[in-house]
Formats: sequence, C-alpha cells, structure tokens
Amino acid sequence: MLIEQCAYANRLRLVTPAAKGIFCLCGVIASFSAGTPAAACGVAAALASVTVLGAGIPMGRYLRVAAPALLFLGTSALTLAVSLTPESLNNGFSIRIERTSVQAAAQVVGRSLGGLAALLFLAMTTPLTDIIGLLRRLRTPETLLDIMVLCYRTLFVFSEAVRETTTAQSARLGYATTRHALRSMGILTANLTVQVWQRSQALHVAAMSRNGDGPLRFLEHDHHHSARDCFVFLAGGSLIIFLSQVLS
Amino acid sequence: MHIMEGFLPVTHAIGWSLASAPFVGYGLYVIKKRIREKPEQRMLLGVAAAFTFVLSALKMPSVTGSCSHPTGTGLGAVLFSPGAMAPIGAVVLLFQALLLAHGGLTTLGANIFSMAVVGPFAATLVYRLARGIKLPFSFAVFLAASLADLLTYVTTAGQLAFAFPDPVGGFAVSFAKFCGVFAVTQIPLAISEGLLTVVVFNALTRYNARELQDMNVLTGQEVRA
Repeated sequence: MLIEQCAYANRLRLVTPAAKGIFCLCGVIASFSAGTPAAACGVAAALASVTVLGAGIPMGRYLRVAAPALLFLGTSALTLAVSLTPESLNNGFSIRIERTSVQAAAQVVGRSLGGLAALLFLAMTTPLTDIIGLLRRLRTPETLLDIMVLCYRTLFVFSEAVRETTTAQSARLGYATTRHALRSMGILTANLTVQVWQRSQALHVAAMSRNGDGPLRFLEHDHHHSARDCFVFLAGGSLIIFLSQVLS
Repeated sequence: MHIMEGFLPVTHAIGWSLASAPFVGYGLYVIKKRIREKPEQRMLLGVAAAFTFVLSALKMPSVTGSCSHPTGTGLGAVLFSPGAMAPIGAVVLLFQALLLAHGGLTTLGANIFSMAVVGPFAATLVYRLARGIKLPFSFAVFLAASLADLLTYVTTAGQLAFAFPDPVGGFAVSFAKFCGVFAVTQIPLAISEGLLTVVVFNALTRYNARELQDMNVLTGQEVRA
C-alpha cells in the first residue's frame, strides 16, 4: 500500500497526529468555504504543496494515489455538466451543456480537489496507528476501536495470504480464462473465509491466556512539542482558510 | 463505488452521517451483546473487517471483460448478520479512505449508508425471502449478493441525484443520468459478484459445512445432504 509506505517515511512522521488532524480539518473547511472554483483549486494546490514539498512525498506516488479518485471525479463532473432535456414522449431526451451546469460542475470539482488534497495530507503523513490513537483520545467507542486495531493488525496477514495463494493459482493457470479466474477467486475467498474463523479463534486463545479480555491497547509514540506543533499547524491551516476567502 | 472526498455539499454530508449513525450505533449494541454472550466473537468481528477490506481490494473478472472489485456486503451480511455489518463496514470504509484514498472522511456517512446499511440489509432480506419461498440455496445466495450490489449502486446514484438535481428535469433526470453512467460497470459487477459468492458458498458448503452451521447459514439437514 503506497499510502502506508509514505505515512511511515515522511518528514512530518514525528509531528503529533492532533496537529495534522487540525491542519486537515482546516483544509476541508477552506475547500468547502471557497466561493469560486479557482479559490478551491488554489486551496488544493496549497495543500498538495505542503504534502509534496513539506512532507517530502514523491510527486509520482502522490498522483498514483490520487488517480482513482480523479477518475471518479472526471466521470461525475461530466455527468453534472451534461443536462438531459425531455423533448416529448416519443422523441426521448436531448443532450445539452448549460452554462449553469458547467459552473456547478466546476464548483464541485474545485471543492472535491481541495477535500482530496486535505485527505491525502492526513493519510500520507500519518500512520493509521497514530490516527487510531487520536480517535481514542476523541472518545470513540472502545468496541469500534477494537475492530479497527484488529482489522489493521490482520489485514497485512490476509494480504500476504492472498498474494501467496494467487501466485500458486496463477502458476497452475488458475487465471488463464475468465471462467477459471472466477473459480480460482471463489476458492481463494472461501479459503480466506475459513481463515477468519481459524485466526480469530487463535487470537482469542492467545488473548485469554494473557487475561486479555479488555480493550486492546498498544504503546503509542511520544510526541514531543505537541502544543507547539498544534499551534504551528493551526496557524498554517488558518492561513489556508484566509487564502480561500481572499481568492473567492 | 465510493463517493469521493468533498464531492457532496456540506448539508448532505452531515445529513447522511446523521442517517447512518443510528445503524452504526445499533450495530455496536448488537456486537457488544454478542461479545457478552460469546467472548470469542470479539476477535471474529475484527478479523472479519480485515477480510472485508482485503476482499474489496481483489481484482474480480467482470462479465464485460474488464476488472472490478467485489464489495463483499452480501457475503458479509449472510455470514455475520446485517446489524453487525454497519460498524464493520464503517471501519472498512474509513480504512479505505485512509489507506487507499477511496471514498473520503466528509462522505463517510453517505458511503456507510449505501454500502454498510442498504447493501447488507437488502442482501439479508432477499436471502430470507428466497429461502422462504424454497428457492435453491445457490440461487438464493446469487440473488442476495447481486441485488445487494445493485441496490448499493442505485442508492449511491440516488444520493448523488439528491445532491445535484438536474436544472431542467430535477431529481428524476439526474438519477437516470447517474444510474446510466455507473450501470456500465456496476451491472456486470453485480452479476460477477453474485457468481463469485455462489462459488465461495459452494466451496464452503463442501469443505466447511460445520462452520456455516455454527453461523446459522445452513441447517443440519442441508449439511448432511
């Protein structure tokens, strides 16, 4: 996972997650409050610059991570810009591109780019374990946090199992045709489903043998200068909100 | 199909979050009750979330020849109950936003509603109806998985049409536009996911019938058959 690799190897890794959360929130507020598409695009550019230049995320990786969301944005924006007008009962619809529809689509594109840049800033600079720690401090229900912790700890085990099984199946021409691919994938998924029971049972036995029937807690990083970081990122975020208002 | 970060207006983002919250809250209540009765289920639900996340990252051969990703909502709902799927789905969608940049944080509520509420509940309803009228197990599973997938996508199209009604035709025309655009990928995906889920359940019934019986998916008579 590209985002996970970036989150552990960037210049802002040791900054407290609260500060990065505040900055992301300011980015989202700036994107939503931007009055014009140009202002929202300016916010997106500022946030992307902080991520790429400030945190040292390679531009190629940044664009590869953003690509699927941009594909969704392109399709949906086109749908918004094109207007269907009913002609008559027999003639169906005529396709038109209205000025107002294009303006509305441009506004949505600008806002979405800003929001995406804010999300990518948080995701590509903060490991998920830090975000779970932040959610714990924000009083998220323990049951939900337990699911998150277990999900995060197990998903790499499953990913490895999928990789190894797919390699073995491919070596036996398991994905040679669509029919074979569907069958191979069905067997792979069934095998993973059984592993859900087996692995959860093993984890339960391991936890019970250590009297582990309470919330699952792990040691977190000590973030020095938390107050200073929060102040700096709040100031930076406020500047971006100010920029969005000035450009509007 | 996830709605990306920032796409929905702020009122809609808040509205869908409020609409999803009771289902997630109820799901947490169901999960807590299950964990009190069967403490081993605590680990099962966390591992099930990881399974759903990994499943959604698999490339599935679509009937049109392109590749898509299964949602796993139908499979999860039949195995783990629709109530439990809301919090599990919420965690999976949050992880997809933070680890894959699919979906978003402001659109999390809308995505939870379509994928972790409508999908699983539709799957359970269709599965129970199909089993109620004595349809074969495989066909019931196919209908549950493919219709859950289809309804998830129709709900997303409805959410987008509600947020962005057509200037001339209003909600109905906008809904038709979004349904039309996304149908190209989503209808073949729904059929593929239905077929895949049948293959999964056939393999499970053959090799792991005891586990399915423990989860009340199969009866003892079906296991012996």
